[in-house]
Amino acid sequence: MTSDRTLLGDRLLRSYVIFVIIVFYVPMLAVALASISRSRFFVFPIRRTSWKWYNDTFASLQIKEAALTSITIAFFVAILSVALALAGALAYARYDWKGKRVYQQLLLVPIFFPQSVLGLALQIWFSSIGVQMTWTATVFAHLVWIAPIVTLIIAIQAFGYDASIEEAAMDLGASRWQVFRDITLPLLGPGIFSGFLFAVLLSWGNFPLSYFTSGASVTIPEWLYGKMIGGYTPMVPAVGFLSVIAGAIVLIVGLTINNRLQRR
Amino acid sequence: MASKTILELKQVDKFFGDKAAVERISLEIVEGEFFTIVGPSGSGKTTLIRMLVGMDTPSRGDILLRGERINDVPANKRPTCMVFQSLALFPHMTVGENVAYPLKCRGIEPGARKARAEECLTLAHLPMEYYDRPVTQCSGGERQRVALARALAFDPDILFFDEPLSALDYKLKKLLEKELKDIQRETGKTFIYITHSLEEAMVMSDRIGVMNEGRMVQIGAPREIYRRPNSRFVSEFMGEVNVLPVTAKGGKLHCQSLGTSFEVPPGAQETDGVLIIRPEDMRFVNGEPPVNGVLSGEIFNEYLLGSRVQYQVRAGGTTLLVEKQRDSAAPDPAARITFAPENSMLFAE
Ligand SMILES: Nc1ncnc2c1ncn2[C@@H]1O[C@H](COP(=O)(O)OP(=O)(O)O)[C@@H](O)[C@H]1O
Ligand SMILES: [Mg+2]
Repeated sequence: MTSDRTLLGDRLLRSYVIFVIIVFYVPMLAVALASISRSRFFVFPIRRTSWKWYNDTFASLQIKEAALTSITIAFFVAILSVALALAGALAYARYDWKGKRVYQQLLLVPIFFPQSVLGLALQIWFSSIGVQMTWTATVFAHLVWIAPIVTLIIAIQAFGYDASIEEAAMDLGASRWQVFRDITLPLLGPGIFSGFLFAVLLSWGNFPLSYFTSGASVTIPEWLYGKMIGGYTPMVPAVGFLSVIAGAIVLIVGLTINNRLQRR
Repeated sequence: MASKTILELKQVDKFFGDKAAVERISLEIVEGEFFTIVGPSGSGKTTLIRMLVGMDTPSRGDILLRGERINDVPANKRPTCMVFQSLALFPHMTVGENVAYPLKCRGIEPGARKARAEECLTLAHLPMEYYDRPVTQCSGGERQRVALARALAFDPDILFFDEPLSALDYKLKKLLEKELKDIQRETGKTFIYITHSLEEAMVMSDRIGVMNEGRMVQIGAPREIYRRPNSRFVSEFMGEVNVLPVTAKGGKLHCQSLGTSFEVPPGAQETDGVLIIRPEDMRFVNGEPPVNGVLSGEIFNEYLLGSRVQYQVRAGGTTLLVEKQRDSAAPDPAARITFAPENSMLFAE
């Protein structure tokens, strides 16, 4: 009786999960299909397929430059946000100080801010303090949103082990630097790595913050947007799909490395 | 042997906010002794030891190591070291790397490091093949030994322990207690050990300090503390006892609830308070003229405690505990109980 019911429950749950996965991934499939349609406009069913748009994409200097801009931004955002987040997470997880509560709340707010508003606010702010709108301004804009998220990820790792481990190292004669190098960094390693990964992926896919702050520089999401509102060709879904694939590869490689790190 | 003071505490206080976790503790630890601090959970033992190893600073008072004030010397600049309650092993290192870590910090070259670490493993009764094993694969008892070996590798002047055995099963605990005592004798080091178990303290210590609510309430040899507890708290902390509220009346102590009067214990001042008698000091009366007041009650329960039997006796609304040797004759269920005045302790309330 109960086993019948659990069986039914299991089946329902499984169907639900499959349904959710379909709802999430079918649109991606649509993008993939759109990108291999030979015709300029998307009609379904596809009559003739072609790799033309992919060839065009790889040949396009404009897209190459946008990809390079996106990668450069993601790289700097990841490095800087990990550095900021490491310090922030340790301050939060390892020390007691006045205003820690307020710090926590202030830290979380940017995550929940509507990003277009945040982007606009940053644009106004940057121009009022005389910062040039280029990809460097975008790096800082991304940091405002991404560094708090990375801080959370690293803080969770820091709460995951007992602070007495660091005290014990110091008690055994380690200097502050030795404790950081030999104990803190290796133990936070998986968190730092996930944080880095998150930062790369979030920066790679971000549109609103880049849109408001990058000035003449163009990132991949900006290029997609630009083409979508004027001059659509199936290169748009082609680039979109490639961009998702690139993100997925980073994610899979990253998760594999992370699993190794965790298991050690 | 001339006893030399290695560590001295002078009126040490520690406040968290305006709450005192440690209050006016003065103490002298002698070189080479095994000193145990016992007290119930929350009595301030960890707070005290953290100041002694340099992870916290006293709010007031002084800590002197060989006569030098060390209040503000951080843990990594002190020649002392501690085995944590959580053990605090480095989970990402092997057993050998853990034990060799203090030597690495000191800049000792790898060859000498390994040799010394292996010595310490042996001292802590860990087989050599554990050297390259990850600590995460060690059992509870083995981790215990790794933590001990690591502390020994540091070669501290004083070795501190914060309840390291509390998570182990009884048999292993007993074994490690003995080994710890042996290692202390072998190395001649000063050990300062914290526990909430008086039994553990009794087995290992040269001297015991009993803590309650942040204060050191009694210091003495185990036997002295057992024989002459100086307060109701200490006597109750020693184990199960009978507590009889009494009022002083005409040279005797009257217990209202039981309607019986008792002699004042020899050497004690007649006063209102509580009379405390250990279960093993209670006797069943069979015929012979009693030397003290007699309590009548009814046995309603009995427990086997190893070689002794404990009887629970209901008398006048309270439960009394009486312990006898297991092989002695079974008592009458309608029991008459007494105790010798010299086996009772009187504390004013
Ligand atoms: N960092 C701290 N902040 C505030 N209160 C503390 C802190 N550490 C300990 N205490 C308090 O001090 C008292 C003694 O604690 P502790 O020394 O851990 O006791 P024990 O080790 O004997 O169990 C407890 O009431 C505890 O709540
Ligand atoms: Mg404690």
